[in-house]
Formats: sequence, C-alpha cells, structure tokens
Amino acid sequence: MSPSSGETYSSPLAERYASRAMLELWSPRTRYGQWRRLWLALAEGEKSLGIPISNDAIDQMRQHLDDIDLGAVAAYERRLRHDVMAHIRAFADVAPAAGPFIHLGATSAYVTDNADLILMRRGLQLLRAKIIRVLRALGAFAREWRDEPTLGSTHLQPAQPTTVGKRATLWMQDLVIDLGEIDYRIDALPCRGVKGTTGTQASFLALFEGDHEKVRQLDRHVAQAIGFKTSIPVSGQTYTRKLDAQVLSTVAGIAASTAKFASDLRILQSVGEIEEPFEEEQVGSSAMAYKRNPMRCERINSLARFVSSLEPNANQTHSVQFLERTLDDSANRRLVIPESFLATDAILVLMENVVCGLEVHPARILRRLSDELPFMATEELIVHAVRAGGDRQHAHERIRQASIAASRALKDGAARNDMLERLAADPEFGMSIDDMQRTLDPHRFVGRAPQQVDEFLNEIVEPLIGRGGGDDHSDEVRV
Amino acid sequence: MTVSASSTQLPLKHLRRGKVREVYEVDEGRLLLVASDRVSAFDVVMRERIPFKGAVLTQLTAWWLHQLEGVVRHHMISADAEEIVALVPGLQAHRETMAGRAMLCRRTQVFPVECVVRGYLSGSAWKEYRATGTLAGEQLPPGLQESSRFEQPIFSPATKAEVGHDENITFARMSDTIGAGAAAELRRLSLLVYTQGRDIAAGRGIIIADTKFEFGADREGQITLIDEVLTPDSSRFWPADRYAPGGSQPSFDKQPLRDYLDAERRAGRWNGEAPPPPLPDEVVSATSARYLDAYRRITGHTLKTEST
Repeated sequence: MSPSSGETYSSPLAERYASRAMLELWSPRTRYGQWRRLWLALAEGEKSLGIPISNDAIDQMRQHLDDIDLGAVAAYERRLRHDVMAHIRAFADVAPAAGPFIHLGATSAYVTDNADLILMRRGLQLLRAKIIRVLRALGAFAREWRDEPTLGSTHLQPAQPTTVGKRATLWMQDLVIDLGEIDYRIDALPCRGVKGTTGTQASFLALFEGDHEKVRQLDRHVAQAIGFKTSIPVSGQTYTRKLDAQVLSTVAGIAASTAKFASDLRILQSVGEIEEPFEEEQVGSSAMAYKRNPMRCERINSLARFVSSLEPNANQTHSVQFLERTLDDSANRRLVIPESFLATDAILVLMENVVCGLEVHPARILRRLSDELPFMATEELIVHAVRAGGDRQHAHERIRQASIAASRALKDGAARNDMLERLAADPEFGMSIDDMQRTLDPHRFVGRAPQQVDEFLNEIVEPLIGRGGGDDHSDEVRV
Repeated sequence: MTVSASSTQLPLKHLRRGKVREVYEVDEGRLLLVASDRVSAFDVVMRERIPFKGAVLTQLTAWWLHQLEGVVRHHMISADAEEIVALVPGLQAHRETMAGRAMLCRRTQVFPVECVVRGYLSGSAWKEYRATGTLAGEQLPPGLQESSRFEQPIFSPATKAEVGHDENITFARMSDTIGAGAAAELRRLSLLVYTQGRDIAAGRGIIIADTKFEFGADREGQITLIDEVLTPDSSRFWPADRYAPGGSQPSFDKQPLRDYLDAERRAGRWNGEAPPPPLPDEVVSATSARYLDAYRRITGHTLKTEST
C-alpha cells in the first residue's frame, strides 16, 4: 500500500499493522458487496415464494454485485442522509428491472446486521488461518528444542527444570484452545435473517398475505443463501448484541494467549536465553547503542491490551440496547468490531514473525541452569547419602548449610555455584565430588518433557493443522 | 502428499491459461492466480510437472511483495489458502488444490507493456547489442561482453505478444502507447524494485540478471505492481559463484533440465520442438530442488511443503 500523504489522521492498524486480507475484509467495498448479495438473496427468496419479480431483475442484480460506484452512492447519501437508501438507489440505477423490488419488506438492519455477521464470521476464519500458521512455526520450534533442558520458573523464581520445547507447547496449547473456541463460535453463529422493523416479521407477513409458513421459508432461504445454518430464532430490530460480545470475547481470548507468549519471551530475552529476531540494521535505542529490545513482543503486548480493552465494551453495548433496539450501538460497533479483528490479525502476523526468527542461546540457558542445578539435586543427594550409610537428618542439615552459603556466595559475586564442593569437603557427608556431579546431568531433571512435546505435537496439533500447508512466507512486519 | 497442479479445476470463471499459470475471476474486483507445476524450456512445455514449482513462484512473489510494502502499491490480497477460503467461501473444497500456489489479487487495468529491467547483457539484449551496439534502440558503450554487468540497470520495455516472443521497443514508443507520465512512473518503479531485489539476492548467492514486471492501474487509477515478481520464471537467475562474463551463464533453476535436453538434442533423440522427450526422474527432482533452493536462499526460509 502506498504511504499516506500524512496530511490527516490515519489508523495505524490500517497503515502499519494489519494484513491486507483483514483490511480487505473490513473495507467498505466488501461490506457493500455483501449488502447487494443480501438484496439478491432476498429477491430470489421472494420470487421463489410467488412475488412477481422478473428473471431480468434477478439477472441484473447478479451482474452488479461488486461494481459499486461509491461516488454515486455518496451523491445519493448527501441528498437522502441515509446510507442504506443511498445504496438501494445506486443499486437500482445499475439493475433497473430490480429497482421496484430491492429491499422489499426489509428494514436497514436486514443488510447491516446480516452483513456484520458475515464479516465477523469471515474475520474469525482469517484469524484461524493465522493461528494455524503460528502453530506450524511454534510446532517446528518445539520439536527442534524438545529435549533442551532449561530452568523452570514458578513465582518467577528458579524451579525444577523443563525443556525449551515443552515451554513452547504451553504457548501452543493456549492457541489450540482458542482454535476450538473459534470453531465453536463460527458454528454457533446464526444470521439475523429476515425479521422486519421490530423483529415481528409483520411486513413479510403482509407481503405473503398472512401466510406464516412462507415467511418462515423466506427466513430460512436467506440464511442458507448467505451460508448460515440457522437464522436467529427471535430478534428485535437487530440481532442481540450479545453475539458481538461473544465474538469479541473469542477474539480477546486469542489476544490474551499471544500476550502470555510475548510476556514470557520478554522475560527470557531479559535473561538472554531466547531472543526475538533483530534485523542487521535495526536500532534498539537512540541513546543506548548496545541495546537490543524485544520490541516486537512489546508491540504484541501493546496491541493485545488494546484488544482486551474492547471486550467489555461489547458487553456494555449489549446491556444498553433498550427494548427492541437503540442506535447507540452503531458508532461504537463501527470501531470496536473491526479494530478488534485488525489488531488481533496484526498481533498474529507479529507472532509468526517472532517465532520464525527466535534465537535460542543454549550456552546461556545451560549457564543459568548450572547455577541452580545443585539445589535442584538436593533431594537426590540426601537419598544417595543415606544409601552410602549416612543419616538423613544429618545430610539434610549439611545441605541446608552448604546451599545457603553457596547461594549467598553467588549473590555476592561468585563465578559459579560451589555447593557440591562444600559438601564434598565435608567427610561426614560421605559422597565424592564425582558421585555428586553424576547426579547433575540436566537431562535427568526434565521428567517427561520431551515425550510430552512429541505426544502433544503428534496427537493434538498435527490433526488440527494438517500436513497440507504449502505456504511459508510470513506477512512482513514493519518495524 | 501434495497434489501436483497440472490443471486446476476451480468453481470460478476461467479467464486465461498461461504457459504455467491459470487466471480465474473471483468477482469484478478480484482475480485468483494459480501457478502450476508446469515447466517449459526452449519454448516447449514439458509433460512432467516439477513438484513445488508453482508454490515457489507464488510464495516467492508473496515474499517480495511483503518486502516492497510501502515502496510500491501491489495487487496481492493473500497467498495463504486458508485466508483465501475465508475471503472466498466458494473455494472451501479446493484448499488443497490452492495450497501454496494460489494468490488472491486485486484486479487492475493492465498496461500493455512488459517492463523489462536488465542488469546484465544477456538474451535478446545481447543479440541486439552484438548486431547494432544498441539496446532498445539506445547506444551502449562499445566492448561489452556477453553477460557483462551494466553500471546502471537498464529499462528495456517490450510489447506483450499474444503469440511468439515479445518485441523490444523504445521508451519513446512505450510513452506513445501508455502516455509519458505512466511510462516514466513504470520505468521508475521497475528500476527501483529490480535494484532492491538484485541487491538482496546478490547477498544470497543469486544474480538476478534481468527481470520482467507487469503493472496495472487499480480502481483509483493508482499504478500497481501485478503478476509474478522476481521469480525464476520472470527473471534470469544465475548462480553467483559461477558467474563468468564472456559467454552465456548457467541458469540457477533450469540448468539440469537444459543440460538434459541439450544432450538429447545432440544425440539426435529430440528435434527441439514439441513434443518434448520424457524427463527422467532425476532431472525432475533436480529441477524441483533448484526451485526450492532459490526460494530458501532468497527468503531465508524453507518452503513448508518440503517436509510434508
């Protein structure tokens, strides 16, 4: 996309962050193209139920689904002050035979609401595609590092070791859960269908001269024509805004998963274990030339917090829809819904980019692990000491003293953890330094982590993301 | 298992079939381009398919277009089959056919000019230079050898021939055809994109000797880069470590294929015209490996299809 002229405000989501596919989805052209398709579906349904709409009318509508003259629409809108009416007039200009029938029996919410549901559903599908790309990249990472021991962390304090790959499966699992949520949400999302001004379908009942069954058939026809399994059972003028809240909750859930990943990576980068990609000429800080900041992960957190903040907004909008509707949802939804999708799309582009370029520093990982491993091994040392004829309480006390001393020494600047040397120097402890060193192979401390990685990837992830794939390039991150 | 795209059947209006690509109409504003695994050499399309070639062409184009974001307006909406299905639900059942090699694009009014940029003296340019000392009618310095590198890349437009070979034309004639303003802008963008691409590829062991761009005008009349971009099929890729001016250069991607066909010709088993001789499996897989290698070198990533 060409850089904007810089004369007026432009959304950074559009200018910098979101992918072309998602921007295209929320474009006016896509939306109005859906409106025309909805008018076509309505006319076809009405025709099939006996309303005398000519084949010409249907053909003309079908031939002009996408060639929307936005200039002509704008001219009508200036005169009529009504966007849906302006579009009806512009559509009638290019499909004159359909002119007398376009929008017959419908209210504006017929096109606006149904189109919103179509766009949200496709938006979820686009996010789904992006999550699968991220899972592919993370899956390759997890497999590569499946048995690389690394210091675990609870309370942000050193804890029993895990592996680099196992930790990646934690990030993946969150996204796998999000995928399930997306699939459920897509499947459960109804369209608004054909409901009329206050949801009673009165205008359609009049159109079909009191034939209730025909009204129901029309509702079903439209749902099917626009690819929905169901039309919402009852509505006011609009579908309940609870649906928006549910969709945005799904989207915010994805953002939260990515934020957890980004936060973790920022921690790992702060201790130098794993770093996000850094371009050769990238500048970390304008002042501190040595700096290499985790700016992509910081941006993920930044955008994810924005998405999280929009989720309660949708619930609030739902809660103030007085009676059959109010219009105070409109301006708000126009921002909240697309921006939730665009920002989450941008986050997933970033995340794929980060995952594809992760730099793991095994030496650094081992170094931090080695400082802590002697402490991790203490339980085992007690067992060994007793087997060698020692006293359990005595061994425990010796270890307590040695570990506190070694820990203090480390904090005061010792180059390495010397707890084992301290114990070996104690003849009453009864173990040689070599015996103790043997207990310190980090691979002995990671439990089933490597196997868990294999099982998770093979049993959970592979069936989800399929093997087909094919594309590999990622959307370029503009840094 | 990846389906080898010899022909693709999609529920869309089929507009054109190129030597290696199919063009479909999605709707008034969008096209779907599907690159096949077909390959041609010496102007003859082979019967065998080159695994992953279509995916390499499409994904390499996608990669370049992402690099060029903010530099030139382009037509790509998505080259991810999942995303394409989300945007065009009618293609749901055809994910696998499209995987990797389909690109959803914005439709444009195509300028009827091939925008060729040459960084090295080769092919028809070398022939013209050898005969008249010129390129696209413009005088070049004397004493250049075949495959010499130009100080500055040269823009040499050509007509789009419906059949046979494109014909080199002068910039003046291009200006007459599409207007001086558009011609100048197409030249500027072609040189800019080529230069950026050449520099990136050079650092990764591939000389992009010359290339061909196409442009269109989008709905707002904005000049838009379309078609494939800096791929082995739209460009001459040479292995940088074997570059030696003074003769023709080996092709990075098609050399195994050309060597085999040359041998067949010399042995009198092929007359150089269709139908082509059958290709042994080694030639097919060696060619496939070259395409994948080009992708890997330029983008720094492995095309995912390889491991699946």
